[in-house]
Amino acid sequence: MNGSKRSDQKEETRKKLIKTALGQFVKDGILTAKTADIAAAAGVAHGTLFVHFSTRESLLTEVILEFGQKISSRIHELEAGAATMHDILEAHINGLIEYESFYTKLVVEGPLLPAEARHEMVMIQSAISYHLSRTAQREIEAGRIRNIPLHLLFNTWIGLIHYYLVNRELFTSGGSVLARHKDELLEHFINLISL
Amino acid sequence: MKKCIACGMPMKEADEFAMGDITKDYCVHCARPDGSMQSYDEKLESLTGFIIKTQGFDLKAARETARTMMSKLPAWSQIK
Repeated sequence: MNGSKRSDQKEETRKKLIKTALGQFVKDGILTAKTADIAAAAGVAHGTLFVHFSTRESLLTEVILEFGQKISSRIHELEAGAATMHDILEAHINGLIEYESFYTKLVVEGPLLPAEARHEMVMIQSAISYHLSRTAQREIEAGRIRNIPLHLLFNTWIGLIHYYLVNRELFTSGGSVLARHKDELLEHFINLISL
Repeated sequence: MKKCIACGMPMKEADEFAMGDITKDYCVHCARPDGSMQSYDEKLESLTGFIIKTQGFDLKAARETARTMMSKLPAWSQIK
């Protein structure tokens, strides 16, 4: 096997492990999922997992990083155009719907996770708050939304979303709680902040 | 897509680059008025302030977050 083929295969295994780990964290919990089960589900030897990720923590960090990049890149693209608050919030909620099970675990188990994983979670929220704030600032200046402090605007939105996620069994009898309540939550929040 | 070496922001449009110059490796937010890149301390201070403004963190947590963010970026990865 030549060098480039081997490195392609290595990259493929790495991606597969990240994808499989995400599924396993959802199934067994982020704190309790076992690396042996992740390796088995990915069809690789347990030791191979540690060739790609030196510790369980570094694998978890990579999974969170991967999820964060996916969720913030779409919002960044939108915000670079002339997106409205509605567009940005909708893109955010749609991104969360795609990864809802994993994100919910992150929110619920967040305070108990290793420091590195918690930092990554803060990084993701920071990227989202950055785009949301820039859009909000534009809309405040245009007189379309209330002059609410940016941190409260962001924290109110996140608080609302997280409440529905952690109490999902109260708001849905199955499936995605955000998909079910998306329109209502978006409309409510936009009404709350609009002038 | 290029990413700002000092804050990590993806840069696509010319107005996202320092001085609108797409050959630059840092973004408009990390440039001083004269176009040069901000120092580590300047960036740490502005990023900390930005985190407080947009997420309402306590000063200590905001500075810690800013420091962690910066430690992962090429411009600052050598600085402890």
